[in-house]
Amino acid sequence: MKETQSKTAESQGILVVTPHKAGKTNCWSCGDMRAAQFCQQCGKVQPPAPVDYFAFFGLPYKLNVETPKLEREFYELSRHLHPDINAIKSEREQQWALEQSSHLNDAYRTLKDPIARTEYLLRLQGVQLEEQSKTATEEARRTGKIKKQVVPPGLLEEVFELNMQMEEARMNKKMGEPDRTLERQLQDARKHMEAKHDALMQELGAAWNEWDALVDRAGRGENVLEEDRLAARDKMVDILNRRNYLRNLLRDIDEVLES
Amino acid sequence: MAYSDKVLDHYTNPRNVGALDKNSAEVGTGLVGAPECGDVMKLQIKVNPTTNIIEDAKFKTFGCGSAIASSSLATEWVKGKTVDEALGIKNTDIVKELSLPPVKIHCSVLAEDAIRAAIGDWKKKNGATQNQAQPAPVEQRA
Repeated sequence: MKETQSKTAESQGILVVTPHKAGKTNCWSCGDMRAAQFCQQCGKVQPPAPVDYFAFFGLPYKLNVETPKLEREFYELSRHLHPDINAIKSEREQQWALEQSSHLNDAYRTLKDPIARTEYLLRLQGVQLEEQSKTATEEARRTGKIKKQVVPPGLLEEVFELNMQMEEARMNKKMGEPDRTLERQLQDARKHMEAKHDALMQELGAAWNEWDALVDRAGRGENVLEEDRLAARDKMVDILNRRNYLRNLLRDIDEVLES
Repeated sequence: MAYSDKVLDHYTNPRNVGALDKNSAEVGTGLVGAPECGDVMKLQIKVNPTTNIIEDAKFKTFGCGSAIASSSLATEWVKGKTVDEALGIKNTDIVKELSLPPVKIHCSVLAEDAIRAAIGDWKKKNGATQNQAQPAPVEQRA
């Protein structure tokens, strides 16, 4: 029983962030108000706290983000933290303002973009997106089993075939004999891939909702099972992996057709 | 980023580009991908059924120069080796040979995956005969 409790607490820790947790200290200048990036009382810039992007904006670790609200907060914070505004302050404050506003820019750029936001959250959740393939290969080497591919084989076949067609189309163009039939085929393939991409984004939206529901439950102090957290997390990893292929294909087909 | 001379050599003059008959019982095909960058690599081997030696290997890779060089090198290395010897090729060997920088390590991983996948496919095709060909495990000195 005790073990389950601690495990729950552990996963809740990863799911919940208290808004303005980062700022629960006193202002260095007026010593009074609760201060986040700047003091709401005296307006002084505060020393940067080592927080992640969600905590910086006082947001819960949810993936559905109200971007207009985020944008408003970004501009509001920029007004206080921008180095130009703090140019006449002490050297120490200028340095803080510089660090705070650079953190602000990174945080905003990451959180406003749906894909960057998802990738960022997955990294916070311990996923090493760049290392997946290597990890799976090491596992295969160790166990002597065939490596589990991180994308479905059917998609790989499709990607390979389309790349063959694109290569041919490029070659024909280079020779000054563009193959119109082939180019039409590529145009059709592009539409097909775009539809797939849209469907995938829908799938991502559903996965976000699933994740956010877990965060809400943890926020209400309810029990969230570790396996549920991992399942919701890995679903998103899988979607992003498939998306990488579609994104590259769309980019490459466009390049072939436009060149 | 500058490529090493060996990468450039394989990239400008790739060995063993092409395809083998994937329906042949002697041919194993591996198709693998790296989701990090969206590269795809197909590697095929032709195995002598009596000696288990890989007699021919072909590849086709869509990806960066390092991915092409890694698969080109992989086909060179597997040729003349037995299937089991080829399974011993590690991505780190490829990294060393081609002096790949850390950001390109996944290209070598992809090449190792491709070798394993091709051998896996060949073994699957020849599963029944393979088991028969293997000597029965010796159980002495209990």
